[in-house]
Parts: sequence; C-alpha cells; structure tokens
Amino acid sequence: MSFDPKSASYLDSIEVVEVQRGPKPGGVGGAYRAFGETLRGLKTTMARLIEGPMTIEYPEEKTPVYPRFRGRHKLHKFEDTGLEKCVGCSLCAAACPADCIRVVAAENIPGDRVSAGERYAAVYEINLSRCIFCGYCEIACPFDAITMGHDYEMADYDRRDLIFTKEMLLAEPVERTPLKSEGE
Amino acid sequence: MTEQIAVPFEQAPDRDTEIMTVNVGPHHPATHGVLRLVVDLEGELVREVRPVIGYVHTGIEKSCEDKSYWKVIPFVERMDYVSYFFQMEAFCGAVERLIDLEIPPRAKYLRTIFLELNRIHSHLVWLGTTALDLGAISMLWYCFRERDKILDLFEMATGQRMHTRYFQVGGVIEDIPVGFEAKCRKFAEEMPIRVGQYEDLLDRNEVFLQRTKGTGVVSRERLLELGVTGPLLRAAGDPWDLRKAFDYLVYPELDFKIPVGTVGDNYDRYRVRVAEMVESASIVRQCLDALPEGPYIADDRKYVLPPRSELSTSMESLIHHFKLVTEGYRVAPGEVYYSIEGPRGELGCFVLADGSAKPARVHFRDPSFVNLQSFRDMAVDGYVADMIASLGMLDPILGGVDR
Repeated sequence: MSFDPKSASYLDSIEVVEVQRGPKPGGVGGAYRAFGETLRGLKTTMARLIEGPMTIEYPEEKTPVYPRFRGRHKLHKFEDTGLEKCVGCSLCAAACPADCIRVVAAENIPGDRVSAGERYAAVYEINLSRCIFCGYCEIACPFDAITMGHDYEMADYDRRDLIFTKEMLLAEPVERTPLKSEGE
Repeated sequence: MTEQIAVPFEQAPDRDTEIMTVNVGPHHPATHGVLRLVVDLEGELVREVRPVIGYVHTGIEKSCEDKSYWKVIPFVERMDYVSYFFQMEAFCGAVERLIDLEIPPRAKYLRTIFLELNRIHSHLVWLGTTALDLGAISMLWYCFRERDKILDLFEMATGQRMHTRYFQVGGVIEDIPVGFEAKCRKFAEEMPIRVGQYEDLLDRNEVFLQRTKGTGVVSRERLLELGVTGPLLRAAGDPWDLRKAFDYLVYPELDFKIPVGTVGDNYDRYRVRVAEMVESASIVRQCLDALPEGPYIADDRKYVLPPRSELSTSMESLIHHFKLVTEGYRVAPGEVYYSIEGPRGELGCFVLADGSAKPARVHFRDPSFVNLQSFRDMAVDGYVADMIASLGMLDPILGGVDR
C-alpha cells in the first residue's frame, strides 16, 4: 500500500494538526515579553528545584548498570573442576564484526588439561581498542565461555595495554561495577 | 514570504563593504558536527554559502559489502549516530523484504516502541543543542535529562545505551526484561508534561521569537524540488509522513496526528518537532497497551539463530548455529529499496543481493544529506546569526551526511 503525496486518499487517511504560530516578535508585546515571559520561564526553572539533583558525583560514585549491560568481556572457568570453558572453536572470532578477537587453538595433553574439550585456546586476545561492544561473541559462543561483563572503565595510556590476553580476561576484575536493583 | 528578513544585494545599506569569505567549521560548536561552511559575507549579511562535507566519511557502506548480513547491523547503526534504531529498521526491513520473512506481531510492536523512543531521543538532542545555539542554556540540561531516561530504557532492554544492535533480521534479539513496560509507560506519561515545560520556556520567549520567527523561510515547492522530507517539509505545510503513507510495522493500527506548520520558518520547525515528541509519546503508550504476547523473533532456522536453550540439547540446532554464525545465510539475487520515516525525514535503505552471504551493495538515503541541500536557500541574504539558527533547525547529523 502506498500513496501519492497529493492524492485524496492519502490526505483523507491522515489527521493533520496545524501548529500554533505564537505572538509576533517586537513592539509593545515584545517589551512586555522581555520581562513577563522571562519571569515565567524562571518560574518553570525554579519549580524544578523541588525535583532534586539528577546527577551523581561520578568518580566517587559509580553509575550503576542494568544486568544486560555489555561492558568488558570475561572468560569463564568451570567452578567445580577449574577447567576453562573455552575450547578454542573460534566462533567468537568469526562472529566479530570488528575483527578484534584472535584465537589460536591447541590440543589438550591428557593429564595436564586446560579446558574441558579436546582443544583449548592457547592464545586468546581481544583488542579492546577495536571492540564495538556489540556482544556478538557472547551470542556466538556455544559454551558460555565468553560473556560481556559490567565494567566500563577501560581507559588506558597506551594502546598496547588495550589488547587483553587470556589471563587478563580470566581474572576477576578488581573493582566491581554496581548493578541496578530490580525497581530502579 | 513577507516575514523573512532578507536584504537584496542591490539594496544593502553599505554597498562599499567588501565581500569577505569566512570558514565556519569544520570544528565549530554551532555546526553540530564536523561540517565546514564557506560563507561569503557582506558585513553581517550572508551572500553565499557552500557547505563542505566529508570530514567524517567512514566508508561504512563499503565496509558492509565485506560483512555477512547479520554483521552489517552494528555497522549501519553507526552512520547517523543519533537515530540508530531507524538505521537498523531500514536495513533489517530491507533484508526481510528480500528474503520474504514475516516478523511476529510482538516484534513489530517492540520495534515501533523503540523507534518512537528513538525519535523522541533524536528530537531532544536537536532541541537541546539548537536552543543552546540560540542562547537558552537550561534547555540543554532539561533535554539531556529526559534523553538520559530514554538511554536508561535502551540500556535496560538492549544492554547498551547507544548502538544497541537490538533489531535483527526476523524480529528483535531478545525479549524486553521484567519491569521494562512499567518504566517505559511511566516515561511516556511523563514526557508530555516535560514537553510542556520546554514550551513554557521557549514558546513565547522574546529572544527565541526574534531569532526564529521569519528566519530561514523556504517555500514548500522549493523544498519538494530539493527532495527535502521530514519535519522541514511538514513545517512548510506539506503533511507528508511515511508512517502514514507506507504500510510498515504497526503504524496503520495506531492513531496519531501529523503536526504541520504554515509559514515554514524556523519557528514552525521548532513547533512541529516539539509536537511530534508528544505524538511519539502517545504512540509508545498505544503500543504498550496493545503489546501482544508471543514470540519476539521469527522461527525460521534458515535465517534466525536457534534459541540458546536448544544448543546443548539439539545437534541440529548446534549445526544451524555454527552455520549462521560462520558463513551466515545466503540471499537469492535481487534488490530492494525500503524507506521509513526517520526523525529527519525519509530514511531509505537499498540492498543489492548477489546470491552470496554478503550484500553486494548497501546504500542509505540519509535524510540529513538531502536536507542539507536546502541550507543555501535558508541562509542566503539573511544575517549570519540567522544562518546559525537555520543550521540548528535543519538538524543535520554529519555522521549520516558523510556515512
């Protein structure tokens, strides 16, 4: 279904409302408005005082995030065995639109296992200066080995420090980002 | 137009003044991005404007040709970085029409809710920054306060405040969380009150009236010649709105009005956009009332990722998952142009498929780019201060202009 802009069927199907034009600027009315309307505007502004501040003191107080927030990635281990969940399948690297994940897989040696599967990720690097935080890696991973955490403070002085290795991604973050509670 | 302040070249009071060429931008707060304006000034009067674009050209359209269809989604939403949901809808809608995939009703409603929230968000950014250009600093704080609430809603449902990749081909990527409906409804009911406060501050303010009334007037015929759409065209009196004209998502079932202006000056542009925010809030409320239960994404394993719970139980699902993530789905050769009403006008997406898993061409008709062409008509023979007001009211997003 489509319409010609000037056709009667289009004009019949819509409800048009003309916006008001407001007063003409200048003149006696203008002289009044320069004071009257400014005071009325101030009344609107002053009335907002009772609403209290909307800001938070950021570095002292961190912005809480929602549970779905996608921050810095985390790699996971099985809690009971301590083995890595990642089996080095590279599906996350295939899904990444920014091509920022590099995985090199290696075979597990029996007796000295690293992951639960046949293979494990010998190299797992995420270049966070390229990452766009779309979360496709998390969706792609069939083993829930990589998830998006809640940390958003990732600024650094050197680009090389933004390439996160497997050890950094497996480690627990030092400071936790507060989560928003249910009702917030 | 009788109201326009325009001084023809021959009648300028001081004909001895030299023409001076001035660069405004590319890094200038009043150009709302990296736009360079080469302006020929005769005293305070603008005699010629040449917008120079291309400073934020990112080559996104070209990059899309190298990505499988689902990976294009996070790319295209980074073009016009204020209306990301619209870009996703344009691209996903185009691909859905190419592969003839019907999306479930709940997904249609959810998409409409997010599109309209995004429209309010986009208009809030415009109102805050443009009012700031005209000297109303408190407007910026008030608009960004409401904008933050919308971003909070986006974060709650999608996980990211901007660039959410929430829309996927076939529906939306996950259902809205518990508590979202109540929070969203609260916002949609509060929004008209907030808009009333903006109007209290601006509608009759003498400085605002002097700066906007009768400035930047372009006639409806000229706008149509230039291909301008959206609030700019509606402010000139043409009630052209693709939400009514085309049949997409659930807009035919919704009841909303189209605000139009009469003169087509900057004041009308302001009024039309502010009225649109109230209409959008009403659309969000209607969608929440009518939100049906059911699946949020189509159940077509050829194109849509299988649910996560099936990955550990069904081998077939796991194979589909691997196939879709690594190679993606192939789209039969064909081409489609799908256009929707963005916050700045007609946002169209052209996708050309060649039978492979990557699009052969993705092109966007970005409304900012087309609308910017009308800027010369708005600014020439007016004052340089009115040029800044007109540029703000034009609302170009340079990420969308350059792509």
